Amino acid sequence: MILAAVLAWQGVLAACVPLLTRRLGRDAGYPLAAGFLLAAGLLLWRLPVLLDGREVALRWRWLPSLAVSAALRLDALALVFALLVLGVGALIMAYCPRYLGRRERHTGTYLLLTLFATAMLGLVLANDLLILFAFWELTSVLSFTLIGQTGASAGTPAVRALLVTSGGGLALLAGVVVLALDLGTSDLARILAEPERLVGGPAWAVGALVLVAAFTKSAQAPFHFWLPGAMVAITPVSAYLHAATMVKAGIYLLMRFSALFGGRPAWDLTLLAVGLSTAVLGAFLALRQYDLKALLAYSTVSQLGLIVGVVGVGTPASDAAAILYTVAHALFKATLFMLVGIIDHEAGSRDVRKLSGLPRVMPATALFTVLAAATMAGLPPTIGFVGKEAIFEALAEAHHVPWSGPAAAGVGVLASVLTFMYAARVVNAVLTGPLRQPGLRGPRRSFVAPAGVAAVLATALGPSVTLLSSLVQRAANDARPQGEPPYLAFWHGFTVALGLSALTIGVGALLFAFRARADRLLCRIPTTASLADRFESGRARLLHLGALVARPARAAGPAAFLLRPVLAVPLLAVVAAAQLGPLPPLVGDPTRPGDAVLLVLLVAALAGVVTVRSALAAVSLTGVVGLLLSVWFVTAGAPDVALTLMLVEVLTTIVVMLVLRRRPSRLAPRGSPRALLAGVALAGATGLAAAAGTAALTGRRDLSDPGRFLLAEAAPATGGSNVVNTILVEFRALDTLGESVVLAVVALGLIALSEVGRDVRTQPAGTAATDPVLVFAHRMLAPVMLVASCFLFVRGHEEIGGGFIGALLAGTAVGLAHLAYAGAPAPLLGRLHPRPLLVAGLLLCVGVGLAALPWGRPFLTLGKVGLPGGLALPFSTGLLFDLGVYLIVLGLIVAAVRRLDERPRPAVTGRRR
Amino acid sequence: MSRLLVLPLAGPLLVAGLLVAAPRRRTAHRMAGLATTAGVLALAVVLLATTRDGTVLAERVGGWHPLVAIGFAADAFGALMVTVCAVAVLACLTTAATDGTDGDPLFVPLVLVLSAGAYGAFLTADLFNLFVLVEVMLVPSYVLIALGAGAARLGAARVYVAVNLLASTILLAGVGLVYGATGTVRFGALAAAARTSPTVAVAAGVVLLALAVKSAVVPWHDWLPRTYPEAAPVVLALFSGLLTKVGLYALIRVFAVVFDGDPAYHWVIAAAALLSMVVGVLGALGENTMRRVLAFHMVSQIGYVLLGLALFTAASLAAAIFYLVQYILVKTALFLCAAAVHAGHRTDRLDRLGGLAGAHPLLALAFAAAALSLAGLPPFSGFVAKFLLLRAAGGGGHWVAFAVAVGVSLLTLASMLKIWSAVFWGEPPGPAAASRLPAGVALPAFGLAVLSLLLGPVAQPLLGLADTAAAGLLDPGAYLRAVTGR
Amino acid sequence: MTAAVAVGVLVATAVHLLLQRGQLRVILGFVLLGHAVNVLLLSAGGLRRRTPAFDGVGEEVVDPLPQAFALTAIVISFGITLYLLGLLRADGPAGDDGEPAGEDESADDRSAGEPAGDGDGR
Repeated sequence: MILAAVLAWQGVLAACVPLLTRRLGRDAGYPLAAGFLLAAGLLLWRLPVLLDGREVALRWRWLPSLAVSAALRLDALALVFALLVLGVGALIMAYCPRYLGRRERHTGTYLLLTLFATAMLGLVLANDLLILFAFWELTSVLSFTLIGQTGASAGTPAVRALLVTSGGGLALLAGVVVLALDLGTSDLARILAEPERLVGGPAWAVGALVLVAAFTKSAQAPFHFWLPGAMVAITPVSAYLHAATMVKAGIYLLMRFSALFGGRPAWDLTLLAVGLSTAVLGAFLALRQYDLKALLAYSTVSQLGLIVGVVGVGTPASDAAAILYTVAHALFKATLFMLVGIIDHEAGSRDVRKLSGLPRVMPATALFTVLAAATMAGLPPTIGFVGKEAIFEALAEAHHVPWSGPAAAGVGVLASVLTFMYAARVVNAVLTGPLRQPGLRGPRRSFVAPAGVAAVLATALGPSVTLLSSLVQRAANDARPQGEPPYLAFWHGFTVALGLSALTIGVGALLFAFRARADRLLCRIPTTASLADRFESGRARLLHLGALVARPARAAGPAAFLLRPVLAVPLLAVVAAAQLGPLPPLVGDPTRPGDAVLLVLLVAALAGVVTVRSALAAVSLTGVVGLLLSVWFVTAGAPDVALTLMLVEVLTTIVVMLVLRRRPSRLAPRGSPRALLAGVALAGATGLAAAAGTAALTGRRDLSDPGRFLLAEAAPATGGSNVVNTILVEFRALDTLGESVVLAVVALGLIALSEVGRDVRTQPAGTAATDPVLVFAHRMLAPVMLVASCFLFVRGHEEIGGGFIGALLAGTAVGLAHLAYAGAPAPLLGRLHPRPLLVAGLLLCVGVGLAALPWGRPFLTLGKVGLPGGLALPFSTGLLFDLGVYLIVLGLIVAAVRRLDERPRPAVTGRRR
Repeated sequence: MSRLLVLPLAGPLLVAGLLVAAPRRRTAHRMAGLATTAGVLALAVVLLATTRDGTVLAERVGGWHPLVAIGFAADAFGALMVTVCAVAVLACLTTAATDGTDGDPLFVPLVLVLSAGAYGAFLTADLFNLFVLVEVMLVPSYVLIALGAGAARLGAARVYVAVNLLASTILLAGVGLVYGATGTVRFGALAAAARTSPTVAVAAGVVLLALAVKSAVVPWHDWLPRTYPEAAPVVLALFSGLLTKVGLYALIRVFAVVFDGDPAYHWVIAAAALLSMVVGVLGALGENTMRRVLAFHMVSQIGYVLLGLALFTAASLAAAIFYLVQYILVKTALFLCAAAVHAGHRTDRLDRLGGLAGAHPLLALAFAAAALSLAGLPPFSGFVAKFLLLRAAGGGGHWVAFAVAVGVSLLTLASMLKIWSAVFWGEPPGPAAASRLPAGVALPAFGLAVLSLLLGPVAQPLLGLADTAAAGLLDPGAYLRAVTGR
Repeated sequence: MTAAVAVGVLVATAVHLLLQRGQLRVILGFVLLGHAVNVLLLSAGGLRRRTPAFDGVGEEVVDPLPQAFALTAIVISFGITLYLLGLLRADGPAGDDGEPAGEDESADDRSAGEPAGDGDGR
């Protein structure tokens, strides 16, 4: 419960931030600091329970079907990290009010910091792999926003930080998934309790993935480059990221998973090698910095490397050392960042070459700087000294390969010597020299106080380190239960470690004394191009690759986009041909003697279509193809299809004529011969595939069951003898409804498009004149067509006809009228408006279909409907449905001929409405 | 209950008809569009509640004999799709109301018809009817994409119509071939037909090809990033939520029912899936307007869903369905953010925007949440989806797919960061870009983002539904019994 | 085999037209493709039977269902053809060269630069 309460309390704090900043402005940091301390106090309250070896846990079933729980657990290890998060967090919060500008409210900064602390807290409390990962990623994202909110220059480093850390996060996710799959649970405590269950490939994979995750987060080589870039963030943020959160998450992860992987040589040696080399590399790079903040950033890389290396030793003492040094690092790094922030704030610079003589104006700041630097350098009596001792002692015990102990200790000393040097450089810059900046004023006490608390704490905890002993011992035992860690003490007697400390300080002091020569020496060691630059150029190359991939999607015309779908058809056919076994035999003979004639004519007409250059000829020949097919459909027993197709062809041709009247009469020029040839080849292959598909898959079975059923039952069931028509308006009325809707939408679209075109077109109005021959034809034919149309509509159920065919015929009359009168309103038919036709048709179709529902019948149940009072409608509602279809089709044709033929109106320039 | 299955199709059509009759009643259009969609949503939720235990509702339209009637059926998968699409439509209509897109008298009716076609396609159990309803959905999109003039838009419309028309024709040919080989087009009668008969497999393969083109699966993806970004921003959001999703839905349904998840084809789908994931995300990295980046991402996300289909296990199908649902929400939210940016600045080019995070925190929050969800970061729904997918891939030992999925999500994040740092951070380019967004234009996107956030910590209900839906796909027995009326 | 050959030549011609320049060719290509599918649909019912479906089951009576499919398909493709013609016309009298110039690389600039005509409805 207490865990939920603490997290909830943090949530409440976050929620209160806007309120606090509104009332207090930048001073909102103070109540937030108090809030953090309260949360820390709540957790500390549980300390006795934890020291007893028990734990505080909480479980909430998150995804029961995957057996994933939102489980939290507090043990001593988690408590150490949680106290760092909250304690250092409180100091940072108390530091913010004097650091941040007076003018703004800084709601974003405070909110993000609070959320960040919460995420970090969740991370160390998580007792389920998924929860762990969730908080892990949350810290990445929040740190990204914290870094990035600084300003325009922070964008690139922030993005780099997020990409590196979330790349590591993805490694963690991969590891988590593999782990959960392999062990069948995502419960962290259970997994860690039985390390022997994880063996073989998964063990290697998970181990490697966890290492990548931790190394990216903790800025270990070769992923260290994001951290110095992240120092563009404002100082409180940097202080928090470097001291107690973000990078410490990687350390926490390594310590947690040491229970699982510790003792496996690959894991231990990797930690040792990567950690210690990072320690040296980071310290070396820190020495080359003049910007204090950059120096501190590289120092973090180095110090974390030391901790990682120590975790790799894998003894109880080494775990204790790592934990202790984590605490020490948190204290002095937070202090130093805060102090650098103060110096930067007051003196306007953080360049070691420009700073000097600060004790004169800011004695307290200078004093605390010295204390913190001493802790960093491992000078007695600070906690840094105790921590370094423990680390040396642990490193010397490394036992994985011969001589690994002395080697590790030696590298540790080397890193520490370098650390001593840069610590000395910081102190030297701040303390010595004359005061060169006139008018410099000291910071307010409230500004320095948080840093002072941390500095004093870091110093005082050295002699009184026994206070921490039981907690650190317990935590080391929680990290991996392998025996009692040594009791922490300030003075261990004359040990090897003490000697190493002395050596470090001695050599460091010597080198500092000859610093000019040492610096020259250091500068001669070559370094390659910065990894950050390489990362950026890699990113740029990736973007370039992306642009190449995206390029094909820029082509203009449709052809480029039709190519691949078309190409897939012959490919599919080839694959199918290879896969298909013997086909079922043909059922009967599907050909008739007359078919050959059709084919010859068809090929001739198609040859014409592809060769002619005149648009009109191409259109006409396409119409001929349609007519040929409708003739053939008559012989194939499909008179309805034939008639519909014929009418559609006629209408299409009329509309094309209308559209082409004001366009060039020739088709577009062909492309290059080569492209043409490729097109012909593809066309041939596709045609062949289509023919083969038709031959292979059709005509090889007897009459289908639905077909047989319809032939037998349609007439008795519906009272109509034209089975095809009964299918359209009864059995599959839903399809018909759908196609009617399609037509209605097309009609509306044409209306909209004609208004689009209006802005574009420039041709003056009124060029075409009425054509006497067509007028005559129209006068003679239109009445006949209309009567025939009604006739076809009404008898559709019994004979060839129906709503579509009837309306198409009426539409042909409308089209003829438009051709004849060349756009001037034709008598009678010219007054038809599409919209009412469409609306009425649509409402009839859908309405008739829906009318069945109140009677408890399925949608589109058509037939004679009884009215209340025993009356009955004299006709089937199917007729109403068909009427709806009729109206829509007519509406479409009217819209098409009217809108596609419409004279441009130069006056209309604005948009419709 | 099953009587009402057709209402998501018929209701919006009826309202659309009424609205066409009154082109000038702008407020009425707005209200009717929202009310109708809300009604569909309510009905869909009821359907969802009914089908969540594995129940399948079925209806024979017109009440005819099962042999010839067009079947409508709702299982958990179909009901889920209707629900989430209705949510997306609702958000789009709301945004359109604030940014003025719905001022066009055709906008609301066309959206209603389009959504009706999509709902119908989710519910139909008849292959030919599926073709018709897909047309009902597509034809309004042909008009919507061209709405609002502009040469660029007309050019895009031409490409869009051409590709979709080709795909529709291939689909129709496939349906014809299926009928030629089997003598039926009902899902109920086609169960496992392609697994038992190679000829049916070829015919249904043509259907799958057409659906893949419509879903913009690589290598048939180019048309989507070419055409979508030219549409009006809200229209684009609508397309992203509905159009390719219907293709994906149909792909999954046809593969599950007609192919019975035949393992012989898993590698083909997996290859297309992985290719889509990679090509889509690379294209997104290379683009330079919000809409284009997001459009390329659709290709990548489609790959993720297909990967779930390719593995064809209970876990992977549930993952695919969960992914599909959350991705519709997230993607719509992102496109609505782009629409909001566009409404305020008349551009969505990355190099002409900047500093919006400070000016429009709500918009920035909505975008950030949706983008993180898209990249699969916790605690958003996208994380759960990605986890499910990785778990399914790893559980089946498909480590290549696993690695690609992990890698692609990092690239996804990188491309989202590209938008974020260009649009929301940095300096506004010049004082002229001082932005004024229409009031409330970011709210719908924000709402969807919140939904995505909720679906992370409270994922179990959706996960349960996805499990039920996946079980229904893996063993379509209940679905088949319902649609065959036995 | 008639149907197979007819489908083959129709598809080949259609594809040939689709892959060439010019909007009108594309439209005609789709019209021919529609024809091909209609022939395919009728063939799917079995062209051995060729007596119109008016009076009951018989050895020669056609399967009516594919005819209904073909009718629906014809009408839908008719509608879409009209719409394609509408798009063609909306281009203005620029000619049948189809694709407006400069659409490839500058697509961005136009879509983003928002020329006067590219308003979104306001």
